[in-house]
Amino acid sequence: MAETLPPHWFQILLSLADEDRHGLGIMNDVLERTGGQMKLWPGMLYRNLAKLAETGLLIEVEAPAGAESGGGRPRFYRITAAGKRACAAEAARLASFVETARRKKLLKA
Amino acid sequence: MRHPWWIAALVRLYPRPYRERYGDEIVAAMIACADRERRRGAGATATAVRIAIDAVSAATLVRRDANPQTPPGDPPMQSILYDVRHAARLLRRAPLFAALVVATLALAIGANTAIFSVVNALVLRPLPYPQADRLMVLYEGIASLPTPFGFSPPDIAAFAERAHDYEKLGAFRTAEFELSGVQQPERIPATRISASLLDVLGVAPALGRNFTAAEDTGRQPVALLSDGLWRRAFGADPGILGRAVSLDRRPYTIVGVMPAAFTFPHRGPHINNVPAEIYVPISFTRDELGAFGSMYNNTVVGRLKPDATPQQAATEAVAVTKQLIAELYPADLHEIPITTRAAPMRDDVVHGVRRMLVVLLAAVGVLLLIACANIACLMLTRTAARTREIAVRTALGAGRARVIRLVLVESGLLAGAGALCGLALAWGAQRLAVTSIAHELPRAGEVALDGRVLAFTAFAAVAATLVCGLLPALETARHDTAGTLKEGARNASAGVRQRRTLATLVTLQFACAVILLAAGLLLVRSFVKVISVDPGFRGDRVVSLATSLPLSGYPDGPSVRRFYDTLLDRVAALPGVAAVGGSTDLPLTVRERRVFTIENPSPATASLPHTVANDCVMGRYFEALGVRIVRGRPVGPADTARSEPVVVINETMAARYWPGDDPVGRRIAWGNARTHGPWMRVVGVVGDLKQSGLAAQTDPQTWQAWTQLADSLLASSVLGFFRGIKLMVRTEVAPLSVVGAVREEVRRLDPALPVTGVQTLDEIVGASAAPQRLNAALLGAFAGAALLLAAVGIGGVLAISVSRRTPEIGIRLAVGASRGNVLRMVVRQGMTLVAAGLVIGVPAALVTTRLLGSLLFDVTAHDITSFAAATVLLCTVALAACAVPALRASRINPIAALRIE
Repeated sequence: MAETLPPHWFQILLSLADEDRHGLGIMNDVLERTGGQMKLWPGMLYRNLAKLAETGLLIEVEAPAGAESGGGRPRFYRITAAGKRACAAEAARLASFVETARRKKLLKA
Repeated sequence: MRHPWWIAALVRLYPRPYRERYGDEIVAAMIACADRERRRGAGATATAVRIAIDAVSAATLVRRDANPQTPPGDPPMQSILYDVRHAARLLRRAPLFAALVVATLALAIGANTAIFSVVNALVLRPLPYPQADRLMVLYEGIASLPTPFGFSPPDIAAFAERAHDYEKLGAFRTAEFELSGVQQPERIPATRISASLLDVLGVAPALGRNFTAAEDTGRQPVALLSDGLWRRAFGADPGILGRAVSLDRRPYTIVGVMPAAFTFPHRGPHINNVPAEIYVPISFTRDELGAFGSMYNNTVVGRLKPDATPQQAATEAVAVTKQLIAELYPADLHEIPITTRAAPMRDDVVHGVRRMLVVLLAAVGVLLLIACANIACLMLTRTAARTREIAVRTALGAGRARVIRLVLVESGLLAGAGALCGLALAWGAQRLAVTSIAHELPRAGEVALDGRVLAFTAFAAVAATLVCGLLPALETARHDTAGTLKEGARNASAGVRQRRTLATLVTLQFACAVILLAAGLLLVRSFVKVISVDPGFRGDRVVSLATSLPLSGYPDGPSVRRFYDTLLDRVAALPGVAAVGGSTDLPLTVRERRVFTIENPSPATASLPHTVANDCVMGRYFEALGVRIVRGRPVGPADTARSEPVVVINETMAARYWPGDDPVGRRIAWGNARTHGPWMRVVGVVGDLKQSGLAAQTDPQTWQAWTQLADSLLASSVLGFFRGIKLMVRTEVAPLSVVGAVREEVRRLDPALPVTGVQTLDEIVGASAAPQRLNAALLGAFAGAALLLAAVGIGGVLAISVSRRTPEIGIRLAVGASRGNVLRMVVRQGMTLVAAGLVIGVPAALVTTRLLGSLLFDVTAHDITSFAAATVLLCTVALAACAVPALRASRINPIAALRIE
């Protein structure tokens, strides 16, 4: 996955980087981490999750025992190795911009 | 899990497999989103819309993901979209046609929407009170008189005790106060209300509390502000409660502020109909509570018990009044012909305008019909031009239904655009109307474009679509495919049928236009008759100003007399003033009616009702107004409290009660034969002055000398209107130019006294004709629009006919017909349709103008002049409309015409 990830895909993958989450969990995590700037609305979120699964960046897994939220036992999502690579590549790409900004004294080191 | 219906509906947008897989989770996420947004303080509707947008876009994408081969949308919907696009493309290619149709429909639908929104607010919507249909209004009055009076104070409590159909009754009466202690002293409309009134209506103050019964009976100076006054004079101060407001220079404690939507009393009913800015307790005095058989000036409102019907209550009211007169009234008043009428409050409020609204609604309906017929003509000729396209479609397998739909979609598109523009027009018209005629309509403030109005507009648009489109659509679908496709072939039978349809539509338009035109002309004639009524005075160069002396500043008779004597002297001495006088009521709106007795009456007059309109006048009143003195002398400054009581009567009174005799020198007195007051000598007879508006009949009237009123009357706390004087200033210069100087004289006498009601007598006369002016203007405008549409219709149809018949006309000219022959032929063709329209329209108009009934003044519904004028006007306009295509036909070059063929 050399080409850049769309921002919301990046954020979804970032949410899943450290733990498996269900859809609602991803929605809340992204909202919290971006300080309310990225709102993933339910319809588009699930469509994107399906797309990401199709592309092989994440997979659907059985809900861990005891996980109950909203609509019964929800489906959980886990990032794949490809997903991790894509996410990391995007992070590195963004980091390079940050580095440039630092060099140009726009940001403190 | 429970979730709102709209979420369930949104989830159904997804294809089934996707829904089964993700549906529950999406629902949970939507609910979580909605919760989150609510916690953030976002509006519920905005959130729902945002979620819906997300769901619809996601569902669309998911569906496309699922089967990427097929284009979006399911087949039927898709083909309608196709039709819409096709129709839009065709209309873009005929912008003039589209604009003409949209403009016509916008005017017709706009007029319908505007009128309906008024009907909706006034008649259809319940009054703004809980269970408003349980509210009844009660008046006492004389059964034989068309307008009731009101309730006499002692009757109110007595009635409430004896009537069983009501949960509760309340009473109110319009008043007026001088409001001071705010920026500029002013006189404001007020209403005295019983403590129970707000409970009866089911309304509570928005701030503070209602009066208590103890405050009412104990005559406490407490006040409730209207929302408008609270904002205007007190800057919407939330800490207003407990503060004092100065009314007639007396402090009243503010105990509450009414809600913004509370407009009371309503405009329109018989009496007590001025929306108040401030409410004070009705607080009847001992005198009022003992005033049996007089002071019929309070309105009573009652809330029916759940099991009582309005009819029941009306019947009961009559019986109860009979009973209480027998039980409570003094013996000499037992024969008093007073009865009570009870009516649902909403009927009472809109009583005066209902007929006008029905007429207007009918008129705009007819206008819409004409517009639709007009457009149907246009569409019909347009689809005729599309015959080949349609034939190709049919040949390629398009069914009848599909072709009909094609045409209906086009008319639907036009009607939709027309309705949208109409809505905008209606909105504009409504804002204009509400500001300009708010004073004439009850509940004008409630006029708005609400859901019901929008639904009506949508209905009008659908109706217009069907009426405009169905005829052309059916016509199109009927075409013979093979015949049309044959190059150059003319479908003769279809042409004949279409000509017949067009002729029918034009005839229909003219028939409808006759109805509107006749009705419009009848109302215009009524208006002209009303404004040419002789009011009995010369209104040019007379200006009127009103002042009213508050009791607290002028507690006794001498102080009131001193003020007005000085004021009149000083105003009379102003440069440019020819004569000045004053009266307790303005001409055209004399409120007071009194029962009187004649000394030694002629036996012939014994059976006549003995009530007169009465007015108290001061100064050189009759001279200021330019009233004709028929006999004797007017009352004037020479008549004082110490001289003999005198009165002046009008010609109507002289003729009715002293037929063939000279009333000057005779005596009358207030009250009935047994209990009358002191005798007053008739010293003069003057020409009739209109008392209740130009359109009303002239009643017998008396004028008393204000200077002869007893001190006790001038100092009465109840009868404040003797201290309120309308000055009449006749000038030698432009009347309004002296207003400043008169104001200055008032200010020199009492700097705090507001001067109100500054208007010229001509304006007062104009205002009296306002209802007739409004009726005439509205219906006249609709009739004009109808005439214009009908003219455009016949002109258009003839133009089409001429262009079709070009070769035929060419042949006629070639074989020797003169241009005049051709001209006459085309005009005859058009005028035949007009004549047919008249044959249908005139009888229809004769039947329908009867609906106008009471809106007409001095004109019968079958007035021959109006009908003749309508017919002539219509024929003239039609002739002009026919002349254009006829002239074109007569100028056809036969050679060129034959070459086309």
